[in-house]
Amino acid sequence: MNISTTKQNQALTIILEGRLDYNTSPQLDGVLRDSLDGITDLTIDMDSITYISSAGLRLLLSTQKTMKKQGVMRLINVRPEIMEIFEITGFSEILNIE
Amino acid sequence: MQKRTISGTFLRWLFLIVSVAFAVSMVYLWTLQTRLSQRNAANLLRLNIQDVRQDVIDASDANLLSLTRTIAAEIDNGAATDDAGLASLLAHYDVSEINLVNAEGIIYATTHLEFLNFDMHSGRQSGEFLGLLNGSATEYVQKYQPTTYDPTLYRKYAGVCLANGGFVEVAYDADRFQDDIDHIVVGATHNRHVGENGCIIIADEDWNIVSDRKNNEGQNLSVTGIWIDRPTMPEEVVFHATVYGDACSCMYVFSEGYYIVAVLPENEILLQRDTSVRLTAVLEVLVFLTLFAAIYLLVRKLVVNNINKVNHSLSKITDGDLEERVDVRSNTEFASLSDDINATVSTLKQYIAAAAARIDQELAFAKNIQQSALPSVFPPYPDRTDFSLYATMDTAKEVGGDFYDFYLLEDNELAFLVADVSGKGIPAAMFMMTGKTVLRDYAERGDAPADVAVNANDKLCDGNDAEMFITAWTGFLNTDTGLVRFINAGHNPPVLIRDGKASFITQKTNLAFAAMDGVPYREQSLQLEPGDLLFLYTDGVTEATDASEALFGNDRLLTVLSSEFGAGEDACRNICGSVKKAIDDFVGDAPQFDDITMLCLYYAGPEADGAANVSDGTTKKLSVPADTGNLEQVVAFVDEQLTSADCPQKAQSQIDVAVEEIFVNIANYAYDSEPGDVDISVSTDELGATVEFRDAGVPFDPLQKEDPDITLSAEKRPIGGLGIFMVKKTMDSVDYRYIDGQNILTIRKSF
Repeated sequence: MNISTTKQNQALTIILEGRLDYNTSPQLDGVLRDSLDGITDLTIDMDSITYISSAGLRLLLSTQKTMKKQGVMRLINVRPEIMEIFEITGFSEILNIE
Repeated sequence: MQKRTISGTFLRWLFLIVSVAFAVSMVYLWTLQTRLSQRNAANLLRLNIQDVRQDVIDASDANLLSLTRTIAAEIDNGAATDDAGLASLLAHYDVSEINLVNAEGIIYATTHLEFLNFDMHSGRQSGEFLGLLNGSATEYVQKYQPTTYDPTLYRKYAGVCLANGGFVEVAYDADRFQDDIDHIVVGATHNRHVGENGCIIIADEDWNIVSDRKNNEGQNLSVTGIWIDRPTMPEEVVFHATVYGDACSCMYVFSEGYYIVAVLPENEILLQRDTSVRLTAVLEVLVFLTLFAAIYLLVRKLVVNNINKVNHSLSKITDGDLEERVDVRSNTEFASLSDDINATVSTLKQYIAAAAARIDQELAFAKNIQQSALPSVFPPYPDRTDFSLYATMDTAKEVGGDFYDFYLLEDNELAFLVADVSGKGIPAAMFMMTGKTVLRDYAERGDAPADVAVNANDKLCDGNDAEMFITAWTGFLNTDTGLVRFINAGHNPPVLIRDGKASFITQKTNLAFAAMDGVPYREQSLQLEPGDLLFLYTDGVTEATDASEALFGNDRLLTVLSSEFGAGEDACRNICGSVKKAIDDFVGDAPQFDDITMLCLYYAGPEADGAANVSDGTTKKLSVPADTGNLEQVVAFVDEQLTSADCPQKAQSQIDVAVEEIFVNIANYAYDSEPGDVDISVSTDELGATVEFRDAGVPFDPLQKEDPDITLSAEKRPIGGLGIFMVKKTMDSVDYRYIDGQNILTIRKSF
């Protein structure tokens, strides 16, 4: 999975590409851990995410919890097959998806 | 406020009561004695006055009577009784009055013409002479008194019967007879004492002193200090005056024209009273003192000493000696009190014994629970040859605050730890259970050691109202490389035993868990070589104390550990046993003060990789070790089968997710104690695909797991439980069976 980040003041945009699964989630987790300090506006671009498993969902949930304390988090360009998983798991209700 | 003793209080009250009794009796005695003295004085005065008075009366009576007899003799011998004759008799005998009374009681001749024909029956004073007419007496003398005829006229009368009937009555006044008897009166006082120092003073009608021991005769009575006013001062009644400078009680009578005054000095009157009161006071003081002492000693003996005995026993009982018996039997009350106390203590003992038995039983249960929470089957991983370990925990009380733990996080990663909760007993044990669970939860989530520590710490700080903390040394051994990553939360440094030499590892120390939230924890590392032994312990080892309060200490520990212990689990058991024995020898009979927990790890080095893909040669079946590292291989294998079956992209994606969730689940949980394989077979047909997972791990039905509540808000959503839920939601059927020691999970997706 490729991860690229763009930081502008307190706004962080993360562009993901590939599979967000058990093996790749720790990678994103590490990136988030290192860069979320002081961020009030987090945008995750999901355009190139084609696959997400529960490990990815857990990471999104914990990130959402973290960001709720310090600002907002939104997902953009979510593909339909990923959206379907969000809906099945109820994540569409708790994630800020645009 | 300082409490008084019973005997002290008693003494005070007794003293008060005795003092009041003493004072009251003294006042009563004083009053009584004063009255008695005064009455005695009055009697004494009266007796003396009466004596003197009688002397005076006797003298005047004798004087007048002899005159009257002489005059009667003259008349009987024919003296003229006409006025001239009587006047010459009057003049001759110098009397004041001569009356001749006939047998009928009528005055028929007199020197006092007004009395002529006066009937002697007509008055009390004159009536007294009628006895001379009826023959009952031949002579009669009256005391000096007012006459019947004229009450202002004072006369002394005497009568003597005449030979030819009737009688002659002769009278004179005070001046006349006093001239005759003054010498007798003077003598009456001179040798007379009233009491010791009292005296009699006699004055005439004009208050001129007639007789006085101080030789003031002729002077006015007032020179003595006495003043008598007859109208206001009754006779024979005590009055007070200062006589010749001394306060005196006095009494007077007026008799025969004299004031007879008796004088008694006050101090003489009071001397008797004072003596009597003093004597009684001394006696009373003696009696009361004796009584006081007797009562005080009795109270001490009967009450206070017994109370002290009871108290002595009670304080022994309070100090915990329930065998003590109260045995004060000197009287019924204390015997009853003793029995009651003994009965109470006995009942208390029964309750305590019952409570202790219950607590013992509960503690035994608690110990059981605690022990069973720690892995206690050794060897825990009998198939592993790359490492061995052994651990023991000896609690000071039934339950303790120490714990050890170890578990495989991955096939090649072993977490192991030793921890010590502050405090001992039940509270420590409860916190220990929480600490153990929290650490394991975070470790098994796969977090990095530092994150495990930070998260576990924050979790333990939450609601740690008891302000407890846990020191812990947590290691993560990579069994392939021998690298131990570790977190030291305020714990003692482990001992590394290499080639028979023991040394403490060098380490930095972070804060103990649960002490403060939000603190960072630093991951440190230690490289183990094959053959190394790592010894973890709690401070119960180094701080074991002997009878003289000396500590076992680090040096003794290193000495014990600097030895050849061999290899494998035997070496680990050996080390724990040797250290325990050294501690026991050192401590001797002193009681174990703290929990003693030890964990020893032996690292043998990477073993030959026995796990391998065992393909049965069919294109639809794969066998891999249950390790998340093989996830990609598994997914690729499944995708290969699905692609060749023309599976639609969406279904394939969903099957991929399901395969990942199930495989990761098996890899993480199925083989807790030993590594194992997962057999995956994929069957495709025209209607869909079926994937079957088989593993020989612990029996576990993932379908039993409750679905997560997906309506909860992000804050409340639990982080886990999603995987199997997604499988159930996206697959058309999910089936679990446990057959012949194998978990068999089958999913089916139609397309």
